[in-house]
Amino acid sequence: MHAFHGRRIHRTFLVFASVAGFTLAMAAETTVPPPGIRENTPAVFALTGVRLVAAPGQVAEKATLVVRDGVITAAGPNVAVPKDARVFDMTGKTVYAGLIDAYTEPPKEAPGQGGGMGMRGDGQGPGTPAPKGGANYWSADIVPQTRADRTYVPDDDLNKKLRGQGITARLLAPAKGIIKGTSVLVTTGEGDGTASIVKDRVALHGKITTSRGFGDGEGYPGSPMGAYSLFRQSFYDADWYRQAWDAYQKDKTLPRPERNDALEALQGYAGGAAPVVIDAGDELYDLRADRIGREFSLNVIIRGSGNEYRRLNEIAATGRPIIVPLNMPDVPKVKTPEEAMAVSLETMMHWDIAPENAGRLDKAGVRIAFTSEGLKDRGEFLGAVRKAVERGLNPDAALKALTVTPATLFGVADRFGTLDVGKAANFIVTDGDLFNKKTKILETWVLGDRFQTDMPPAADVRGTWELKFSESQGANDTVTLSLKGEPAKLSGSITRNRKESKFSSVGLNDTRLGFAFKGDSLTWPGVVRMSATLSGDALLGAGNWADGGAFSWTGKRTAPFAPEPDTAKVTPPEMASFPVNYPLGGFGVAAIPPQPDAVFFQNATVWTSGPQGKLDKASVLVQKGKIAAVGRDLAVPAGAVIVDATGKHLTPGVIDEHSHIATDGGVNESGQTISAEVRIGDFIDPNDITIYRQLAGGVTMAHVLHGSANTIGGQNQIIKLRWGVAPEELKLAGAPEDIKFALGENVKQSNWGDRYNTRYPQTRMGAEQIVRDEFKAGLDYKARWAQWRKDKKGIPPRRDLELDAIVEILDGTRLVHCHAYRQDEMLALMRTFEDFGIRLVTFEHVLEGYKIGLEMAKHGVGGSTFSDWWAYKMEVCDAIPYNGALMHSSGVLVSFNSDSGEMARRLNWEADKAVKYGAVPEEDALKFVTINPAKQLHVDSRVGSIEVGKDADLALWSGPPLSSLSHCEQTWIDGRKYFDRQDDVTRRAENEKMRAALIQKVLKSGDAGDMGGGDKKPKWPREDVFDETFRLSVEGR
Amino acid sequence: MKTMWTKWTAWTTWILWLSIVIVVTALPESVIASTQIPAKPQDHPIALVGGTIHPVSGADIPNSTIVFDKGKIVALGASVSIPADAEKIDVTGKHVYPGMIDANTAIGLTEIGAVRATNDRSETGPINPNAKAQVAVNPESELIPVARSNGITMVLTDPSGGVISGTSALLCLDGWTWEEMTFKAPVGMHVNWPSMVPRTAWWMQDSEEKQLENRDKALNDIRNAFADARSYMTAKQAEATPGVQYHSFDSRWEAMIPVLEGKLPIIVNADQIQQIQAAVAFAEKEKVKLIICGGYDAPLCADLLKKNNVPVIVDGIHRDPMRNDDPYDAPFTVPDRLRQAGVAYCISGGGEAANVRNLPYHVATAVTYGLPEDEGIKAITLYPAQILGAADRVGSLETGKDATIIVTTGNPLEIPTQVTMEFIQGKKIDLSDKQKMLNEKYKEKYRQMGVGK
Repeated sequence: MHAFHGRRIHRTFLVFASVAGFTLAMAAETTVPPPGIRENTPAVFALTGVRLVAAPGQVAEKATLVVRDGVITAAGPNVAVPKDARVFDMTGKTVYAGLIDAYTEPPKEAPGQGGGMGMRGDGQGPGTPAPKGGANYWSADIVPQTRADRTYVPDDDLNKKLRGQGITARLLAPAKGIIKGTSVLVTTGEGDGTASIVKDRVALHGKITTSRGFGDGEGYPGSPMGAYSLFRQSFYDADWYRQAWDAYQKDKTLPRPERNDALEALQGYAGGAAPVVIDAGDELYDLRADRIGREFSLNVIIRGSGNEYRRLNEIAATGRPIIVPLNMPDVPKVKTPEEAMAVSLETMMHWDIAPENAGRLDKAGVRIAFTSEGLKDRGEFLGAVRKAVERGLNPDAALKALTVTPATLFGVADRFGTLDVGKAANFIVTDGDLFNKKTKILETWVLGDRFQTDMPPAADVRGTWELKFSESQGANDTVTLSLKGEPAKLSGSITRNRKESKFSSVGLNDTRLGFAFKGDSLTWPGVVRMSATLSGDALLGAGNWADGGAFSWTGKRTAPFAPEPDTAKVTPPEMASFPVNYPLGGFGVAAIPPQPDAVFFQNATVWTSGPQGKLDKASVLVQKGKIAAVGRDLAVPAGAVIVDATGKHLTPGVIDEHSHIATDGGVNESGQTISAEVRIGDFIDPNDITIYRQLAGGVTMAHVLHGSANTIGGQNQIIKLRWGVAPEELKLAGAPEDIKFALGENVKQSNWGDRYNTRYPQTRMGAEQIVRDEFKAGLDYKARWAQWRKDKKGIPPRRDLELDAIVEILDGTRLVHCHAYRQDEMLALMRTFEDFGIRLVTFEHVLEGYKIGLEMAKHGVGGSTFSDWWAYKMEVCDAIPYNGALMHSSGVLVSFNSDSGEMARRLNWEADKAVKYGAVPEEDALKFVTINPAKQLHVDSRVGSIEVGKDADLALWSGPPLSSLSHCEQTWIDGRKYFDRQDDVTRRAENEKMRAALIQKVLKSGDAGDMGGGDKKPKWPREDVFDETFRLSVEGR
Repeated sequence: MKTMWTKWTAWTTWILWLSIVIVVTALPESVIASTQIPAKPQDHPIALVGGTIHPVSGADIPNSTIVFDKGKIVALGASVSIPADAEKIDVTGKHVYPGMIDANTAIGLTEIGAVRATNDRSETGPINPNAKAQVAVNPESELIPVARSNGITMVLTDPSGGVISGTSALLCLDGWTWEEMTFKAPVGMHVNWPSMVPRTAWWMQDSEEKQLENRDKALNDIRNAFADARSYMTAKQAEATPGVQYHSFDSRWEAMIPVLEGKLPIIVNADQIQQIQAAVAFAEKEKVKLIICGGYDAPLCADLLKKNNVPVIVDGIHRDPMRNDDPYDAPFTVPDRLRQAGVAYCISGGGEAANVRNLPYHVATAVTYGLPEDEGIKAITLYPAQILGAADRVGSLETGKDATIIVTTGNPLEIPTQVTMEFIQGKKIDLSDKQKMLNEKYKEKYRQMGVGK
């Protein structure tokens, strides 16, 4: 049994590639018994006289296309028509390769159906039990074994709609989970999967986020951070799985590794053998998809959001192809001044620029394909592509994105994408340029089957007709009939003795014409009804007078229909009004500020927070982003940018030791009591306006922490507030690794509501134990690895990202910042750490730190506290504003933090409270928000004080920096001026101008809608558009 | 010798404190109890001599004297005659201000935010005009001495639940009972105006449509409450006419009568311009007095507010801009923009309970970003007194007004400034508080461990 199983897996590895590449050939033979008389209509066709667009930019006039049994056997201008072919004269028509819809999902299930939970977009909430049956991964969100081909059922209505858009094949992907399974490429013709499934397991599909839903805090992952980590862990698990089975194959006396369908299905993707499509709900996720792709050398295709233009250069630099959605932003709701106030400049600019997304991506060299997913109606597909062309996408590039690119990405370029001999007969016939608004797709051929998508009328009745009546009433009159308009939408009139009456209704049904008109002006009383049968240029008709009397008539066409010349003025499309700024919208910048070779701050009161103390009338020289000199008698170097700081005060940039800004990963992964594997750094969000607002408060650095929902939370990230940069550039390069712990009421869920009373721990006793238990597990894990590295015997240990982080803590290479309030819990954790021979770096909040100042000093842990918050919950009733001063005088390294995007803007004033409560000297109080937090973060060799060699992160104040009556005037990071109060005033005016211009543009666009069009609601802070589409689709039902 | 003395006082202070804790913990339902003993009524004249007096209603008077007796100011100026029996207190080098007033707090109604048992601010149901804040004020709240020790002498404590929350009370922060503490009640009928436009935030579970539905329901609640109260008033007034039937008592509508008669203002919580416009239109239609509390967008409809004589309690300066595109200092400049537009305003601390003490620092930020400093002081003394209908008795230092006075080491807007003395209606206030006691207690711990002074 064991042996058999092992072989099976082994074989799977070997044959994987060939199975994935398996395609079903068009077979003359069939396994289906004939239901009756056999049908053997020949399937040989020749389309002659066509304009053949064999591939983008490759056009042949007056060409012939020959199709035999679903395959193109000849194509070109000098092709002989086979004798056995049925010939279609297509003179004047254009033939293109069939279009490919590069991403579709099965129809969404409404909540409560099919196991969906509440509002969760993937219908699969955290904590959802794993699928029944089979050998599954422990998390139901990891289901790579799901195969879209296995459940594929053709949908005739959908296929008809897609063919109407020229789509001959589409990728169908599973929609549920984080690693969701594999997709199938299907054609849009008729027939079941035996014909229409082109290729199975085309790509693996995944996302690195999770939907926000009810029941937060239950089940893992409960945040995008957790989803990213789970994605990452499952690829490590897949690698381990292979190694474990290899080891077992060599030595059957070893314990058999677990069997796991998911991990088997995950084989082969790391390394890039087959593509992995990763959803990117906004431009930041494009970059994240690329990052995780690099981590495992995945062949990533990004399923984009339409926001890519916002980080075009960075996204283009990833080299990843992007499947671009075609749904465009709603029209902003700006009809009244108050409504407009609720719409941000970002939303307006998005409305203005988003239609150019595809064109800009193409120009930037990104390979793109299009998806109909996200459109309210897939029948809008071609129209949306045409809009993209109108807004700057090169038509050849558009065609490529619809044909060659997806065919190549999905590994079917040998059969799809162009009209070469040997390829599948998937093509479309149009009456003109595909990207012209008026062009119709006349026929869509799928695997040699012809579908007339725009069926021409059986006959054309338009023109001028002379009528003859049988009855005396009109027998000798001159009666003419005029019929015009579109064949499917006729209009016309009847004229008798130069008096005309327009038809109130007219229509052609096959060859039967019918119309009615008011006859009074023609001296025929009442409404007259007439009908006729069309035969060439003759009409054979009958009719009824108003009184019911019947008559018959005949008509003869005297002139054919001549369409009126198109006099409509072609107005060139209006392109986006403003260039992209960074981040998009209000206060965004065109580029990051320059770094002058030298900056000279002259005649300031310099608070160094360093050994030089406070210097009056001093200068600071900055060279290439670093502090080069500090002192009273410095010479001004030639060419230096001079900042006259007379009467002003210069300090190191403020450092917020405890912040939750600039992250969109959910802050808390509360799904497990220990989530040491999750990383704030995976979700740095440079678009957060709070960054700019904090710059205006002199803040230059923030420690972005995981939340306090669980005992061992996640890994934190230190950022510099470089407003306008890409996410990775916000991070402090080379910053020490650290992690968040938490104790007390939050981790024991006592403030979460009555439902939350089962997750361990529910007491401070339990919190103490869970840490010890985890540390022990970390030691065991470390020992297992050490043993394995030494002798390489047995089943290799599994790499566990959670325990990796714990081992780093135990090794002292990952610093621990612990949220805590009460002295008892802090003392207990210090003792735990001491028992493992390690030390905490900082207690966060630490509101009872003053009760154990000496104990903390002895342990060596710092305290990062609020100046004066208290009484908001039970464990902070004893908080006092003297806390900072008392800890400080006990020898504890003290900082003041904000834990608030708003309060961080005035940490200098918070520091002044240490002067008020406890008489801390002013210079020491300033250190609470400069060098002390830098020391607590272990970055004090680089920032935190004005010392030669350190980063030029500086704040210039209008007066003494601690004073509640001083404000920040300039903020510099790396010798670049990121904030200037004067420039800010200019920017406000610019914003207002841009808003006014865009509001006018919206109003002039003529379709300023009633609903929607406001700022989008992110499900996670700043995330998740897929979820939003789902919400709208469900509520629409 | 001095060290000995300090040690002794520290010991006695905390032994006293400890004993009270022991007594109190025997009564589980009142764990929270402040140890400061309310002052006895002023029984002799007091003269504060030699300080700089900031009357607020007039120019500063350096090197001057203020005399008060039986709780009222009897004289102030550079040369005043001090009664022979007066207690003279030298305040040379110090500054004398009227006590600060926070026009929007939860003091006495909320003790510990996260502990439901200690919250008495939000009654259930949307319509509670008959709820009265003062009757639930806990005089033993530990938050009171903390607010007081930074110079906040009076607060408006208001209910906050539902749509019509109830009436507020202006409290003096000293007294044995809520009755003693209550300076004026009711002060206003508090109304939560619904958000007129849907909010977009990651925490918002309701869809736009649902939010609009909720808004319409809340607006209907307000309109119906006023209509029903008015019918009730009409019916009750008609009872005086012979033959008209008696109508049963309805405590909700009974409480609304002073509002409908124009005697009691409605204090409407509103930040968005649409809310403010709607509230003004509503008050105009109902012919009731209106005060806006919140007021973030008030400068954008200043003309409307000025024309209708609607004052604004600017509730909190330390807050985020409401909209992405707003200037970073938009919340900081609200008071000055209102001042420039000629709208009556005062500044409150954001509906705080625990940190009411930070009221002057909200003002400091407004001053830093443009508000003249003397206006800033008025915004937390005279102006709230005016808006809350108490300026005849408090809000400035003037003869005949309450002797509610603070003595400081400097400008109260500057954080390191200390309040060294405080009088509420002439009563000398104990400026200690739980936090100061804990500070002393743990200094003693370190002394025992051989460190510290």
